[in-house]
Amino acid sequence: MTNNEILQIIAGFVGSLGFGILFNIRGKRLIFAAVGGLISWGLFVVFNKAFSNEVICYFLVAAIVSLYAEISARFLKTPTTTFITTSLIPLIPGSSLYYTMNSAFIGGFETFVQKAIVTLQLAAALALGVILSAAFAKIFFKKAPIITKTEE
Amino acid sequence: MLEKLGYIVNIGEQMLLSGAEVHRVEESINRMGYALGAKRVDVFIITSSMVVTFHLENGETYTQTRRILSASTDYEKLHRLNDLSRNICSGELTSEDIKNKLSEISALKCFPVWVEVLCYAVIAGAFTLFFGGGILEAAFSFAIGAVLRTVIYFCDKINSNKIFSKFVSSATITLLAFALVRLKLIPSADTVIIGNIMTLIPGIGLTNALRDLFTGDSIAGLLRFIEVFLIALAIAAGYFIVVILGGMPV
Repeated sequence: MTNNEILQIIAGFVGSLGFGILFNIRGKRLIFAAVGGLISWGLFVVFNKAFSNEVICYFLVAAIVSLYAEISARFLKTPTTTFITTSLIPLIPGSSLYYTMNSAFIGGFETFVQKAIVTLQLAAALALGVILSAAFAKIFFKKAPIITKTEE
Repeated sequence: MLEKLGYIVNIGEQMLLSGAEVHRVEESINRMGYALGAKRVDVFIITSSMVVTFHLENGETYTQTRRILSASTDYEKLHRLNDLSRNICSGELTSEDIKNKLSEISALKCFPVWVEVLCYAVIAGAFTLFFGGGILEAAFSFAIGAVLRTVIYFCDKINSNKIFSKFVSSATITLLAFALVRLKLIPSADTVIIGNIMTLIPGIGLTNALRDLFTGDSIAGLLRFIEVFLIALAIAAGYFIVVILGGMPV
């Protein structure tokens, strides 16, 4: 791992921590949320070496990190959203969106469309990863059934 | 009994207002309703409205609707509401208990604004480093982040329109970053702008929108998707207007 990658991972942690505070997460849950940010960029760095395709990496990282979020949420007895929204912060395609806007002025139409598509692909990969994990979590962590009094 | 059912709807409303997903709120209301002895519970929620009907044992029905205006994100509140809903399902909370708990939760405070200013600054600085900026860029980004939260604060004061506030925020970031380049303080505005855009961009909103769409809450998902799309457009528009009026600094 290069210095730059380590710096990125730390920055990802700080970013998630900052959003955790903005979202008013307190105590132990805040630590879990921030560590999620660290894990997500750490995994991205590792996967990026193996696959060298950002979209696939985003999908895999989102799936694994959401699983981390599902497990943390059950462990700390709090809604899963708390950890999903904060942990995935470093993966938000902010730079992608910026370069898309930028290319509207200096790249020409083709570059613009190309970058816009990449941005959408990254966002979709994130969402699909989250959905996949949620579906798995639903199968593996059974919830108590809702007790109804209608059946007689 | 009826009083308790009313509180359930309030709890659901508060959950939505603190940033819970539609799906989760529907489930919580269902669970609480059945736990309190409703024969059947019908809940329909989209991000801006909720309709809840409880069918009681004695044949009466009890319906309430709520208009949801502006949801924010407050996970501490959500956590406590979630706890309360668990307790209602399992324990014997009296209607007085529920009322007290609810007002206790409503009185919870967020962090003061200066903490948020600091958070915006730190997040912007961190992401400038993250996207390859140097220490100097990060320091400027930190300062702009603090200005940005202040601008949002005043936007909230005069106009609660989210889209407009994002537009102004984005224009402010771009203007300040370009000014720094023109003053020859930094060679390129890219990483400074990106660091700050990370605080504005609705990336999580998009993830949630797509998730709602794929998991069956189509209407809620579509509404969210449109909102996210408009916010992204507003951010782009803020950037564009500065570039068009002031030109790209080289």
